[in-house]
Amino acid sequence: MDTDTRNSVQSSTEQELAKLLVESLNIDWVKPGDIDAEAALFGGDLGLDSIDALELALAVSKHYGFSLRSDNPDNQRIFSSLRALSAHIEQHRVA
Amino acid sequence: MNEHWTERPEGGGRFAIWLLLTIGLHFGRGVARAILYPITLYFYFRRPFERRVSYEFLQRAFGRPAGAWQVMRHIHRFASTILDRVFLLSDRFARFDVRMHGLDELTSRIRPERGVLLLGSHIGSFEVLRVAASERPDVKVRVVLDTQQTPALTELLHAINPEIRRNVIDASRAGTDIVLALGEAIREGALTTLLADRARPHEATVVVDFMGAPAAFPVAPFLIGSVLKAPIVLCFGLYRGGNRYDLYFESFSDELALPRRERTTELRAVVQRYAARLEYYVREDPYNWFNWHDFWNLEGFTGDAAAVRKPALDKPALADASVFRGVA
Repeated sequence: MDTDTRNSVQSSTEQELAKLLVESLNIDWVKPGDIDAEAALFGGDLGLDSIDALELALAVSKHYGFSLRSDNPDNQRIFSSLRALSAHIEQHRVA
Repeated sequence: MNEHWTERPEGGGRFAIWLLLTIGLHFGRGVARAILYPITLYFYFRRPFERRVSYEFLQRAFGRPAGAWQVMRHIHRFASTILDRVFLLSDRFARFDVRMHGLDELTSRIRPERGVLLLGSHIGSFEVLRVAASERPDVKVRVVLDTQQTPALTELLHAINPEIRRNVIDASRAGTDIVLALGEAIREGALTTLLADRARPHEATVVVDFMGAPAAFPVAPFLIGSVLKAPIVLCFGLYRGGNRYDLYFESFSDELALPRRERTTELRAVVQRYAARLEYYVREDPYNWFNWHDFWNLEGFTGDAAAVRKPALDKPALADASVFRGVA
């Protein structure tokens, strides 16, 4: 069973978010489809840090119409991977 | 002198500071200022690390070896500003003679829907900014402060004015929370302040020339300003002795562009420009230098002057905004 590989494949909402990530951060050397949905989004192989998280949060607010808030106690989990962030967005998106 | 400033012990100095602030609170500034002299002597003889930092710094600033009298004057200036915090934080401004310079550079840039990033440093007194803020009660102020760095002193200062706690963005939280909070503050039109001259270990820094030698500065304040498209204004509150302060504001950038491709080169130029302004004010009055650690020690920072180190999801360069580690 190669469940690991299967779990890392992006769903369509994750694809949309990955595209937004690459475009908003202007990291055009990364292919959106290559981002492992389960891997660490910040602090991992992508070389992104907390300031990139801020830039992405601004883009998310523009694109999906809701804000990622600093006082959310779940932030560590929300920002942990493309999958976690996408799931959170799908729960709250307005646009 | 290889210790990083965050690793300095709080030490017995905490009691001296507590005593000073308590006396100031109950008996007034005059009485407390009288005990600044024994406190200065105490620190001179009991804190060899800070004493050496002072000798070395004053020699760098004046270009000749410093004497004991100058080092004591340096410590006395510092202790004076710590004491004055009691009065500045409790909004008792009347006793101070604060001359403002360039306030318009700041106020003309604040808009209701987009605040200003105000960068302070560990020179002179940043709290004297409260005098300027009191003249514009309509402007919200947010201060980035590490409450975990010196919990005892933070507690005492919060006790003096509990309202301050509500304006604090706690820098001991996770990096993402801090940057998001900064974004929220700017969008609320707040005057958002942080100190830009100290980096924590493992924080992204760039090495630039500062007072004739390479020194590491944090890059986060400038990246945050750029991402949020917020104007950056510098603030320096120099203590001139007695009850006199000079508070300087100067615009640094209105919309800092740091495109990712050229970021490393651009950031270096931006940070170098900041370091040059800091140097200008430090040279104007070296006794206001309150970074009581070996500022030019690059150990633990990126040794490669060309590289911007970028550790992941670490706390950004939001140095302790109000509390001095070495003494407090």
